[in-house]
Amino acid sequence: MLGFLLRRLAASLLLLLLVLTFTFFFLRLIPGDPAHIFEGQRLTLEQQQRLRQIYGLDRPLPLQYLTWISSVAKWDWGTSLSQQRPVSTVLGEAVPATAILAMAALVVEYFLALLLGIASALRRGSALDHGIRIVTLLFFSLPLFWVGLMVVLLFSYVWPVLPASHMHSVDADLMSPAGRLLDLARHLFLPALVMGIGTAGGTARFLRASLIEVMSQDYIRAARAKGLSERRVVWVHGLRNAIVPVIQVFAIQLPVLLSGALIVEVVFSWPGLGQLTFLAISTRDYPLILGAVALSATLVILGNLLADILHALVDPRVRDA
Amino acid sequence: MREKFSLQALVLAAAGVLLALFPVGCRQTPERAAGPGAASASTPRRGGTVVTGWTAEPGGVNSLILPSTQINNEMLFRMFLHLYEEQSDFQVHPATFKPQLAESYDWSPDHKTLTFHLRGDVFWTDGVPVTAEDVRWTWQAQRDPDVAWELADSKDWITDVEVVDPRTVRFHFSRVYAKQFLDANEGPVFPKHAWEKLPFAQWRQNGDWFRQHLVVDGPFTLASWQPQQQIVLQRNERYYEKGLPYLDRVVMRQIPDQSSGLTQLLSGELDFLPQLNFGDAPRVKASPRLELIAYWFNIYVALTWNNERPLFKDPEVRRALTLAIDRQTIVETLLGSYGKVADSPILTSVWAHDPALHPLPYDPAEARCILAAKGWRDTDGDGILDRNGKPFAFELLTNTGNQARTDATVMIQDQLRKAGIRVTPRQVEFNTLATQTIAGKFDAAMMGYTIDTSLDLRSNFHSQSIAEGSNYPRYRNPEMDRLIEVGASQPDLLAERPYLNQIQQIAHRDQPVTFLWESQRLTGVNKRVRNVRPTPTFAFFNLKEWWVEPNG
Repeated sequence: MLGFLLRRLAASLLLLLLVLTFTFFFLRLIPGDPAHIFEGQRLTLEQQQRLRQIYGLDRPLPLQYLTWISSVAKWDWGTSLSQQRPVSTVLGEAVPATAILAMAALVVEYFLALLLGIASALRRGSALDHGIRIVTLLFFSLPLFWVGLMVVLLFSYVWPVLPASHMHSVDADLMSPAGRLLDLARHLFLPALVMGIGTAGGTARFLRASLIEVMSQDYIRAARAKGLSERRVVWVHGLRNAIVPVIQVFAIQLPVLLSGALIVEVVFSWPGLGQLTFLAISTRDYPLILGAVALSATLVILGNLLADILHALVDPRVRDA
Repeated sequence: MREKFSLQALVLAAAGVLLALFPVGCRQTPERAAGPGAASASTPRRGGTVVTGWTAEPGGVNSLILPSTQINNEMLFRMFLHLYEEQSDFQVHPATFKPQLAESYDWSPDHKTLTFHLRGDVFWTDGVPVTAEDVRWTWQAQRDPDVAWELADSKDWITDVEVVDPRTVRFHFSRVYAKQFLDANEGPVFPKHAWEKLPFAQWRQNGDWFRQHLVVDGPFTLASWQPQQQIVLQRNERYYEKGLPYLDRVVMRQIPDQSSGLTQLLSGELDFLPQLNFGDAPRVKASPRLELIAYWFNIYVALTWNNERPLFKDPEVRRALTLAIDRQTIVETLLGSYGKVADSPILTSVWAHDPALHPLPYDPAEARCILAAKGWRDTDGDGILDRNGKPFAFELLTNTGNQARTDATVMIQDQLRKAGIRVTPRQVEFNTLATQTIAGKFDAAMMGYTIDTSLDLRSNFHSQSIAEGSNYPRYRNPEMDRLIEVGASQPDLLAERPYLNQIQQIAHRDQPVTFLWESQRLTGVNKRVRNVRPTPTFAFFNLKEWWVEPNG
């Protein structure tokens, strides 16, 4: 197991370096250079040149890259051009919000996926199955921003029961810890629902297919023949095996969740990485864009690593391969 | 049937979570504390909170290292005082100034020295008095190359700021010109004792430091800052104007999505939204709890012709293009009663607008005549004018995210096609538009131009501003350059008026840009918030005088 872990870790680090390098140079392919953020202002050419020097943007690109990558190794992501603050500080403020939203969205997603996937697999070919397939297809294909706006319209305007945006109420500072937690839950509900719905459709269909396949295996027939209850057959023998491929889907979904966060966070003014990336792009704050993209890539790679480890734990054949 | 039980358990668990959330989920308009001394509906009262919505977030608390954007200035000008506060009464005369940090000023006989006499009762929030040393140190910061303040050129002609005594400060100028007072007053005064500990060379990389060492002298101070969420301003109890501000707190919620902002204004979550889309006006008007405030804004929208491109080099051709565009119909269709056709770089709501000017009419026949005289004819019968085998065709850029401008490009495409001109509209992201226009890599672009009360047209039309400034049309005219320079060297703005008139007439004649429209700004306010008077420069202009109804 240790050898497997070390191999995967080394591969992940190499991949991360490649992603960071690619991101750095790819961003510079976009027309204009990072210093253009200064040109939109009323700065003289002399001032623009001085700022290039201050932020190290006057040096050759390979040198900028080497400086940046060696700084990143020391967890120094440079300075945000729009906020004049360390990028690591700005990102650090945004990560918890995205983590909370992503976790809540995962709960919604897997709750719905389990509910719909199992029901659909066990009633294969029935009207319920067809109905669920239509619903999951809808979940899968509706644009997130549209669902977000509709949900806000419905639950915050037509039937005003939940807040339309932000992570906390205006006066959350004055609330008790329990009140603040409940306030967070109320604000979290709609964005998590929208983000969860966006990915639940695919996962439910994946689970359905996996469960149908598992339920036709010999060991399931053997379990039934032994007289085990149907509940035990499905939940212990069936679902446990059907869930293995879903773990891999979980890792693949991390990028989907992060890109979904970009849209959902903007619609719901959620103060996470997604909204930060959106703002960084709209102000052309290259160090911040670079930091946000690199951090997202790191999270995705870590997610894949975690999924591999989980997979290896569940299926010993993987770590022996 | 046992598996049904398990699915039901999942459903029940979810229902439990929902029940925990929804009973308290009924409309919760944030509770706004009522201050002491409830007053009648028409009498200002102290206390209460107002929640405002903004699409952007301020970049920090030190405006010297931030772009001079609306959101930055809206907040920071409520926290830091100027020597004098510019008023919004520029419709019939140059804007007047109200004493703020300074209580009076006087000029030397040669008009090269301006002395300000500071109030003695203004203190920073840590109890330290605001003195002439703060004024001088702020000027030093404004001029420092490492700080690279965006408006540093406003101090170009100030050779020294002399501390005469703690309450007297003297600005020395190297020459006499119209904007001397404006330049001396440009930018708020910052706390020397609190901020001088960080060398200027380190300012640009330590924006957070200033927030951590924040003291203010304006009506509001910073209570909390939750990045990407909200900023809470609270009353500065040491503010020198007794009794002001009325409000306890002002919340600036960040809402990047404009439609979300409107929804929250309509639902009562927000009290104030500074900028609404024109299409949203009917919904705000229809709401019994909201008031729509419309006022002429300090922006005009223009079609910027790249005067360096052969197609647009000739002023007569540019004039023909303007004649071929039905601007009145565009304004009526897109802006309704909230806009009017523009005819000058100085807005019609400003005292210096030349009343002799009138928008060029829509006259496609005259446009065709002018173009024919210049050799543009449809020789191949394809409906598009051509000359020397080249069709009259160009690309028209505009930025994404502005529906009125996008719609206008399509209308212009249609109108110019009827005049035999092929236009290809292209939307690009705002920063790309800025980059391309600054670099001169465009044919034509639809852009908004902001004009401030100094009426400095050098940046937009002087040939020196092509390389360094905002002369996006890349317009060159020695006569225009001369008039801008001579006008700027007059002793005051009123004396500059004849030159401003001539500049406007040349711009009207040469059409370096086609002036499309001026528009009103639409602000939505909850009626419980009283005495809201936004100006073209600041939505928060009189924030210190806002108050809320006792039971609002």
